Amino acid sequence: MTTFDHDTPGVEWRPDAPEATVPLRPARPRFDAYPDACAACGGELGIDGYCQRCGQKAKSLREHYEMAPARWVGGVCDIGVSHARNEDALACQANDRRAVMVVCDGVTTSDDSDLASMAAAHAACDLAWAQDPQGTGTPSSRAAALKALLTSAMTSANEAVVDCTDPESVNAAATTIAMAIVDDRWILAANLGDSRVYWFPDGADPWQVTRDHSLAQDGMDSGAERAEAESSALAHTITKWLGRDAIDLIPNMGVVEISRPGWVIVCSDGLWNYASEAVDLAAVVALCVAEDTTALELASRLVDWANAQGGHDNVTVACARVDPASAEC
Amino acid sequence: MPVYTEPMAVFTSMVYQNEYLADGSTDVNAIVRIECSDAGAAGQTGVGDVGEIVIVDTSASMGLVNMQAAKDAAMVAVDTILDGTYVAIIAGNHRAYLAYPRVTSGPGMVRMDPTTRAQAKAAIASFRADGGTAMGSWLMLARSLFRSIPSLVGRHAILLTDGENHNESVTQLDASIRGCLGEFQVDCRGIGVEWQVSEIRKIAQALLGTVDVIPSPRELPGVFRDLITRSMSRGVPDAGLRVWIPQGAQVMFVRQVSPTVEDLTHRGSSVDPLTTVFPTGAWGDESRDYHICVRLPAKAVGTEQLAARVQLATGAAILTQGLVKAKWSADASLTARISPEVAHYTGQTELASAIQEGLSARAEGDDRTATMKLGRAVQLATQTGNAEAANRLARVVDVADAATGTVRLKKNIDKADEMALDTASTRTTRIRG
Repeated sequence: MTTFDHDTPGVEWRPDAPEATVPLRPARPRFDAYPDACAACGGELGIDGYCQRCGQKAKSLREHYEMAPARWVGGVCDIGVSHARNEDALACQANDRRAVMVVCDGVTTSDDSDLASMAAAHAACDLAWAQDPQGTGTPSSRAAALKALLTSAMTSANEAVVDCTDPESVNAAATTIAMAIVDDRWILAANLGDSRVYWFPDGADPWQVTRDHSLAQDGMDSGAERAEAESSALAHTITKWLGRDAIDLIPNMGVVEISRPGWVIVCSDGLWNYASEAVDLAAVVALCVAEDTTALELASRLVDWANAQGGHDNVTVACARVDPASAEC
Repeated sequence: MPVYTEPMAVFTSMVYQNEYLADGSTDVNAIVRIECSDAGAAGQTGVGDVGEIVIVDTSASMGLVNMQAAKDAAMVAVDTILDGTYVAIIAGNHRAYLAYPRVTSGPGMVRMDPTTRAQAKAAIASFRADGGTAMGSWLMLARSLFRSIPSLVGRHAILLTDGENHNESVTQLDASIRGCLGEFQVDCRGIGVEWQVSEIRKIAQALLGTVDVIPSPRELPGVFRDLITRSMSRGVPDAGLRVWIPQGAQVMFVRQVSPTVEDLTHRGSSVDPLTTVFPTGAWGDESRDYHICVRLPAKAVGTEQLAARVQLATGAAILTQGLVKAKWSADASLTARISPEVAHYTGQTELASAIQEGLSARAEGDDRTATMKLGRAVQLATQTGNAEAANRLARVVDVADAATGTVRLKKNIDKADEMALDTASTRTTRIRG
């Protein structure tokens, strides 16, 4: 307690209380660490980020990471060959029945898009994983409940992006999102921007479950051929995204009722740039798959394949192997 | 309690290179600049004692004038050596004599203080010119003297001679030089024009020192003072250049390229299977450039890897590290560029060889080769902006066209000019701009 009396040489002084502030940048996953060993030769990594044995430059855990929550679900997020930063992000969760896979592709021209994509992917995945809506029990009500879940995942992902956007930024962080929920006999997919979900059923026609928000897609909607539309200068300009200045958060959605085994692929344009048409990408997948290929192995091979084509962009692939006849899903 | 902090040398490094390699390319060239600051004074930084030996040629050919100049110079050297430094004075002719301290066994060097300084100068005053020349024996005595003081962490000598090594075979001298490798550093100076540049350069290069010609005895004391001053300013007694290369790679060469060209390639010793350490001697506040060339197995376009870690180390302590990188690219606009620093020092290294080979051809009477090599030297000196070399060359050849390297050997060449061109041939300039 402060008292005043004649003997004190002065008064106690305290600085003004700081204005109440909210944290601008809430805790985010830290990915500036390096893996334990060299990816090329297994040698020890130097503190300079290069292998002590073969000299290979190690990728930080932000530049390359893998997730495999179950044998049938796995993904790889990789910086690619040409880019200096990995602005893609991947998040996935799975048990033996359900899976959630999310891929985000940060918009290079916006600030902190690597942070935004990571925040969005984890927020959407966490929300969709935490809730397991059953609807009223009928298949159609179950699908409707899952669609509602996808919509709220978009909202949650957008809040996460806004949370890590500097309020002063004139070039607010932005990212695409594509996600798939594999649940029992259903694949529910949603997207904003040009990251995609594909369904490759064994022995049946492959198809792209999502529909891009991009000028290339607009071109195709107006009757242009895919090859022409996707090679135009503005083809990669997206027309919807997550971020503070998002136009809206209404995703394109797609539903698949699983009737035969197959692969669900969620990917960024770093992969589909080299094989956009579903049949073309299915052919690549077929080349990468053998009898007992795990989902993580397939994702890893597809990333390697994209890098071998030039790796001009960050590349992220999440895969799920679904089989209605097996115990899994 | 007062806290006393020693000055602590700070090393920094910079790498100059074009890290982009074309598809299938394997050779990575880089210039690594290492700078030292806050080195402190030799023997005063707390890392250990330093020793300084002055070796004076007292052979008969020195004569009265050169002998007196050498005595004056040795005394100036003794005056310049810092108190606390271990010292010894060697008088050399066809044998090697310990002139100071006058001991016949035990520690062969004494700490410098006002008393020992006066005694050393008295010993120098008694020198007289007599006998022949056997420099190998002088070096071996210096080695023994340094070894008699186990606490020394820095060992430096200056060697003055005026003539050829008449009383030893080439093999004997070479064996002595080999025996002294890594034991101490020697700066060598030749007085007059009757000594062999190649012979003395061999000693200086092997023992990490410099070589120069002193045409006039009057200049000798100043030269000795400068040499000792520089030696005393080297507070880091011994450092090594460590070069790590990846498994499967090969070091093509390692050269010091500034301030002088010294090929270190075959002077390394292995630290571990991937790391070699090359001797660099003592460091003061200075900057040196190294040209490293590493051959790698070619990798796929897009791959980035380390081609070398270039470090300066004292013992096991790594003081600075430069990273030499390799990135394979299909973009010719990136891969076709040559680093200006690499190009500059490649030219300077060729300049040094052209001068030495030209002068050696001239000595053998092969005027055609001499004209061609010295012409190339004039061209390179002009292209790389080495004005000092260009000026020295102009005293040995008449330059018709520097740009094309068209020259004519001069009829009458001052021997001292020729020797100065030879001894200075390894001195390089830094890149302009």
